[in-house]
Amino acid sequence: MAERYSSFERGGRRWLWQRLTAAFLVAVLAFHFFLLHFVNHADEVTFGMSQARMQEFTYFSLMILFLLTATFHGVNGVYNALVNQGLSGTQETAVKAVLVVASAVLIVQGVRTALAWAGGVPI
Amino acid sequence: MSQSYDRGLVEDFGRWREFKAGMWAWIFHKFTGWVLVGYLFTHIAVLSTALQSPDAYTTTIQSLESLLVVRILEVGLLAVAVFHILNGVRLLFVDLGLGLESQDKSFYASLLLTGAIVVASVPTFLAGVFG
Repeated sequence: MAERYSSFERGGRRWLWQRLTAAFLVAVLAFHFFLLHFVNHADEVTFGMSQARMQEFTYFSLMILFLLTATFHGVNGVYNALVNQGLSGTQETAVKAVLVVASAVLIVQGVRTALAWAGGVPI
Repeated sequence: MSQSYDRGLVEDFGRWREFKAGMWAWIFHKFTGWVLVGYLFTHIAVLSTALQSPDAYTTTIQSLESLLVVRILEVGLLAVAVFHILNGVRLLFVDLGLGLESQDKSFYASLLLTGAIVVASVPTFLAGVFG
């Protein structure tokens, strides 16, 4: 009987979502680095330049999606790594709760910041 | 018929001398993942100065970017991000069952390409910091 070496539960969808967000993040993270370091230079950043980008709905929605997918991919990755290292039982439940709360805080703070730049949802 | 495979305890890093390319790829992907998720939280915290005032944001970013150590850390971040992206693409192909016979070669290619992109980016990342 083969043993099963996986951090993922059978029938779960987190494995698939980790891959789908990965495919999205490959493109968007590369775009983010390219735009903010090569097209625009880091030492020239001003609130006004960030604001001008964020007031475009396409850019704003892309950045919100970037925040959501990066948070899921990163935090789910941390959770998988810890389960891989042997985390289980009550500790696993506690870590899962901490990670869910940390993700929520990160997303709320990121969305608040995006809204501060855009001056509301840019539609 | 399913077969069992004793992979040993991969979490035992004391075995590092026995590690092959796939194991190093796994370790590097995990390490770069930890760095990137840590940076994600730091990044949002720094960007949150925009909530205080436009001036607070501009001053914070420009002050940080005037420091050589921050620019060097950004080059490190680029290295970590590029490797995670390239090795991530490699993993997506592996998950699809493509290129399974050349997993080691694609890992070495990820490393080489990461090095080349990072070296080529150094002038851009350090521009303006010396005065």
